[in-house]
Amino acid sequence: MRDFILKRVAALLLPFIQMYGLYVILHGHVSPGGSFAGGIVVGLAFIAFTTIYGLERGRAKVPEKVTTLVESYGTLWYGIMGMVGIFKGAPFLANKIAGIDLGELGALSSGGLIGLIGLGVGIRVASTMITLFSTMMEEES
Amino acid sequence: MTTTIEAHLPVFVVIMPLFVAFILPTFARRIRLVEGLVTATTVLGFLGAGYLASLVLIRNGNPISYSLGGWPAPWGIQLSVGDLSCLFLLMVASVSLPVALFAADNMTHEVGGPQRATRFYVLYLLLGGAMAGMAVTSDLFNVFVLVEVATLSCCGLVSSSNQPRAAEAAFNYLILATLGSALILGGIGFLYMITGHLNMGFASQELNRVWQDYPHVVWMALSFLLVGFGVKSALFPLHVWLPDAHSAAPSPASAILSGLAVKGYAICLIKVLFNVFGIALIRDLSMHRILTLLGMIAIIAGSLFALTQDKLKRRLAFSTVAQVGYIFLGLGLANSMSLTGTLFHMASHAVIKSGLFLAAGAIIAATGKDRISEMAGVGKKMPITMAVFTICSVSLVGIPLFSGFIGKWNLLLGSLEAGNRLAQAVIILGSVLCAGYLFPIIRVAYFEPAPAADWQDPGLPQKTALILLAAWVMILGAVPGPFLELAKRAALDLLVVK
Repeated sequence: MRDFILKRVAALLLPFIQMYGLYVILHGHVSPGGSFAGGIVVGLAFIAFTTIYGLERGRAKVPEKVTTLVESYGTLWYGIMGMVGIFKGAPFLANKIAGIDLGELGALSSGGLIGLIGLGVGIRVASTMITLFSTMMEEES
Repeated sequence: MTTTIEAHLPVFVVIMPLFVAFILPTFARRIRLVEGLVTATTVLGFLGAGYLASLVLIRNGNPISYSLGGWPAPWGIQLSVGDLSCLFLLMVASVSLPVALFAADNMTHEVGGPQRATRFYVLYLLLGGAMAGMAVTSDLFNVFVLVEVATLSCCGLVSSSNQPRAAEAAFNYLILATLGSALILGGIGFLYMITGHLNMGFASQELNRVWQDYPHVVWMALSFLLVGFGVKSALFPLHVWLPDAHSAAPSPASAILSGLAVKGYAICLIKVLFNVFGIALIRDLSMHRILTLLGMIAIIAGSLFALTQDKLKRRLAFSTVAQVGYIFLGLGLANSMSLTGTLFHMASHAVIKSGLFLAAGAIIAATGKDRISEMAGVGKKMPITMAVFTICSVSLVGIPLFSGFIGKWNLLLGSLEAGNRLAQAVIILGSVLCAGYLFPIIRVAYFEPAPAADWQDPGLPQKTALILLAAWVMILGAVPGPFLELAKRAALDLLVVK
């Protein structure tokens, strides 16, 4: 019962923090911030959860298996998005010249593949933050 | 389909190892599959590098360039595959294939568990991809990123053997290498500041136009880059991390670190020195004298330190310090002969040192002894391993018909052309000292009575790996034709005044 206020406030705030992180990740190409900064915010939300509710419950939320998967395939996602260019007959990582419609300037879709690439980088950064933190915590306990 | 692959080959050789590295952790439980994937990747990398080299040879040195994302050169990242890149790519591929074969046999055993072995393979492929990237990129910031990827992979590889000694060595390496990275980034920053370009070709044009307005900045950039890459490629006074790191790592890791990793940074330095600053600027600033001096000191000091070591892997590690000296000496002499010699010696040393480290690893694994004085009789009990060790040693000393000779011969011709008497003496003295620290191992192994112990040659995959490397040494020595041609053309290309 000692941490009642802390736990309640965290439970209320964390979803919004994560939402904000995802927003920063997805709007990286049209506004300040980006996938790296956004990924850190998402990761920090999980780290805050772990510090408040304890390592065990934090690990239960994001098991090591999940972080391994996300770290591996998040980076691979970047490569796959790069390959889209090659399949369209353009160079690796091509965006507009691979025939992707960029739409209206300043809109969310105007980045083409950049937003999708950013999503991969973002979740990967978030999961790396979690791994770093849990590894250090596990070493201490 | 084939034309598509051919057109995108410069980027495939870099991203393919990275792709495979990313998916490996999810197969950690099925270690056989991981090993198979790694070996397949190195085979594909070898085929890709060979095909690129043949394309470049046919194109008569006209580099293949590739713009990432379709953005042309001054704005986008440009990959360019010329003679130098091909030589280095071939070198990376021809060493990483046997090392992967060797590792597949007992890595799980050596590092303790499939999980850790998978981690080793991930880092191994990341290092391979970074090396391939260093070979093909012609963008300064890209060089920095790849240097970082390679450095962190190297730290992981050093610490993969799960011993306190390895962890300490890896930590030392991490500290010094981070310092080196910071200096490299600083140097690249200074270059960007005065040229406004990150593409090597454009930066070089701009630099040659404006450098007289910023002499101090150019000096700062040059010295930052020299010290930064010097730390990473273990140039003599900055080599302190190398002996511990390379002797504490598992043998396949030592082979790849000593054989390839230090050369990767040297290639980056060559690209920055000759493709960005250009030979005229190097001569104007007397940089070549500094490089020659550093190279000579490294050869003598590295060899002398190697002579005094009794631990086999430490002796081989110090030998790497001496051979890096040859590379820098050749760069300093800065004529076509010496650069040909440097580039060829780089390639042959990569193969030789991997062979030596793998043979040493096989001996240590079979006998459990890591001191040279305890190696009596290894030659009789492990004939194939010791034969490979002998071939590699003889080649490193520089006996004709072996690959080491051709590199050192060209270096010697280069020093004659430069009229540098001291360099001639040092090259020959270095070879004598090299014989001095390698031949006693062979004498102890073959001519001292063997103890009654059950030592055996390693299993078939490891034997294949050792024989492949020995065969490479012999091929490079007996038919150096295409490789020497690549090295010669790369050397002439580096010396073009821009």
